[in-house]
Amino acid sequence: MMLKVESLQVFYGAIHALQGISFHLEKGEIVALIGANGAGKSTVLNTVSGILRPREGAVAFEDQEIHEVPPQEIVRRGVIQVPEGRKIFSRMTVTENLEMGAYTHTDRAEIARDMESVFERFSRLRERRNQLGGTLSGGEQQMLAIGRGLMAHPTLLLLDEPSMGLSPILVEQIFDIIQDINEQGTSILLVEQNAQMALAIADRAYVLETGKIVMQGTGDDLLKDPSVIEAYLGGH
Amino acid sequence: MRSSAVDKGLRTGVVFGIVIVTMFLIGFTVTGAGLVGKIFGVQSSYSTPPLVFFSIFMILVGAWAGVTASPRPLLEADTWNRALLAGGSSGAVSGLFSAIIGFLFGELNSNRIDPRTYLPSVSPESIKMFLFDQTPFIGSLLMFALMTGSGLAAAALSFYLRNNGAVRSSLRKASESVWDSIRSERVSNIIQNKYTRYASLLAFAAILIILPRTWGGYWNYVFGTVGIYIILGLGLNIITGWAGQLVIGYVAFFAVGAYTFALLTAPEPHHLMMNFWVALGLGVLAAAISGLLIGLPILNLRGDYLAIVTLGFAEIIRILLKSDLMTPYTAGPRGIRDIAGPTILGKSFISDVDFMYLIIIAVLVVTFLANRLQNSRTGKAWYAINLDETVARATGINAFASKLLALSLSAAVAGLAGVLFASRNQFTGPDDHALMVSINVICLVIVGGIGNIPGIFLGAFALKGLPEILRETENYRLLIFGVLLIVMMRLRPEGFLPAKRPELEKASVQNPLGKEA
Ligand SMILES: Nc1ncnc2c1ncn2[C@@H]1O[C@H](COP(=O)(O)OP(=O)(O)O)[C@@H](O)[C@H]1O
Ligand SMILES: [Mg+2]
Repeated sequence: MMLKVESLQVFYGAIHALQGISFHLEKGEIVALIGANGAGKSTVLNTVSGILRPREGAVAFEDQEIHEVPPQEIVRRGVIQVPEGRKIFSRMTVTENLEMGAYTHTDRAEIARDMESVFERFSRLRERRNQLGGTLSGGEQQMLAIGRGLMAHPTLLLLDEPSMGLSPILVEQIFDIIQDINEQGTSILLVEQNAQMALAIADRAYVLETGKIVMQGTGDDLLKDPSVIEAYLGGH
Repeated sequence: MRSSAVDKGLRTGVVFGIVIVTMFLIGFTVTGAGLVGKIFGVQSSYSTPPLVFFSIFMILVGAWAGVTASPRPLLEADTWNRALLAGGSSGAVSGLFSAIIGFLFGELNSNRIDPRTYLPSVSPESIKMFLFDQTPFIGSLLMFALMTGSGLAAAALSFYLRNNGAVRSSLRKASESVWDSIRSERVSNIIQNKYTRYASLLAFAAILIILPRTWGGYWNYVFGTVGIYIILGLGLNIITGWAGQLVIGYVAFFAVGAYTFALLTAPEPHHLMMNFWVALGLGVLAAAISGLLIGLPILNLRGDYLAIVTLGFAEIIRILLKSDLMTPYTAGPRGIRDIAGPTILGKSFISDVDFMYLIIIAVLVVTFLANRLQNSRTGKAWYAINLDETVARATGINAFASKLLALSLSAAVAGLAGVLFASRNQFTGPDDHALMVSINVICLVIVGGIGNIPGIFLGAFALKGLPEILRETENYRLLIFGVLLIVMMRLRPEGFLPAKRPELEKASVQNPLGKEA
């Protein structure tokens, strides 16, 4: 099993953000974690990344516990997060941003090859490679954030609301890209408020509500589930 | 339209009026007149400067008020009327303020009331000068006329220069021809030529070698101080400019370096008499370790804890050094005397020229290392942390270790500066390590352009060199710092020489709005 999360309890001071969460992800899967704002989705990703520490519970990646491993080591093992809100380094150029993604790598030739393949996937970024990240449009920034994640050779890519604030066409494009990355062998844990799109491409999905998982199933099943439709798909 | 010009003139005039009144109350009008005198080669440090220089000083202030108020081309309809109205009203209002304050104090003075009990800088001489040696009534009238006149004249002149086609086109032509010749192939060939580069390096080296020999002890002292502050600026820039962690009590590490070195080499209080170079190494090491120890418990916290903790650390060190409790160990408030100077092969060389060379070498070495660091992997990690710590950690940067490294490197550099400082003065005491040192260093880094090495040189010259050259302003140093910082923040928020981010210009030309195609 690629990722196994068990009875995770995470606190921010007195705030009990995750109240015993368990889920798993098999190699090659896209697993979606959907839920409203404040449900605890980002908290899950940050805990898997090692940026937050659980008070209880365990996170195992490729059958090894990682919830006490420092974040930079987790990155080395191939778990890469693309944080929410298109967090790129706004005062670095596109190229520098991508180089930062390869921070844990040292082979110059390999970094150059990786960058070339990112540019192949996102030709927009190639045109703008000397431009500061902050001057890119929203969609381009999201592409850059994903490209930066790819530079680190993820085995498991954690995507935090990649569709946030993008126009429908761009959302469509981003989800195509996510599927494409997955088809080339990277497992994906996808966190989304946009349940419609996320469930459509996910193999399996979990529904998160105020720090608890309240429902799970295949993407298709959840798309048809009346309570999911009621709560997350606008009741249609 | 016309009323808006007057409006602007009045507002500007009020601001300048308040500034003039303040200058008068703190005695800066005398200092200003002295500075003008100095420009004309007349030294008058100890006597009241001649009236003519005071008049010139006030004319300059009035002219500034006039130019500031006069219309900006491109933004406003630019006509003679508007220019004269704005400049004249600005000069008149500031003149009114000056006249009133002059008249009031003139009357006080002629009634034998000495304002110095409350305003120590307002001497009878300064009042007399402010009234042009006339009676209060005549003097304040003169003042009003002078300010109004210079405001008008300056506004008119600036209007003429802006709008006169001949003047403008000849100015443009001149600047274009200069640019063309700079850009022309021949010049750029010369600049890029390997030999010219070597030659200019050689010339630079020659200047650095010859200058300390020729300009005498005083300037070696002044520029030695500038050099030490350049080192401090380069050091603080590592943790604050690059890694983005504000350190307020930077002087603490300077003190650790200076005192470690002093205690190891001075005859009292311990008589260790260690060799200069060994003690230098130990001083730098002690500073680095103190940085490490300060950083260990707090650098994994978010927020500006480092700023506060270092501030506390600096004050604790200074108070400890001053206390009687520590006198047997650190010589207490008297400080440490007879600190060693540098030696080579057992021979000491402590003349001011030798020491200047030592400081120059130290500056070059630190600059070289800082430059290497900036472009290294570590430097990029610092910058990433500075921009966004969470994302930096998500990309696999060990933020804690990076910041700890930055802090102890910064501290080590401050330690080096402290060693040089103590050794040059052959003395160090608690007062050398007051918080003012930190504030100076923070100011020079900000003024020069945070994150940028040449900016730090410029900042150190501006803040430590210029005040020495302009000795008259000594009492107003803090005031001038404050004004300088405010002006900088308004005009060039990123400093005189902002850190250059690659391709910024090119990018904004390619895609000015960052919109999607
Ligand atoms: N740094 C923080 N400090 C305190 N509370 C936080 C912090 N980050 C998130 N929370 C709280 O934890 C809960 C889960 O937040 P988050 O994981 O960001 O939700 P989501 O990503 O699903 O919108 C929310 O109630 C939020 O207010
Ligand atoms: Mg979130």
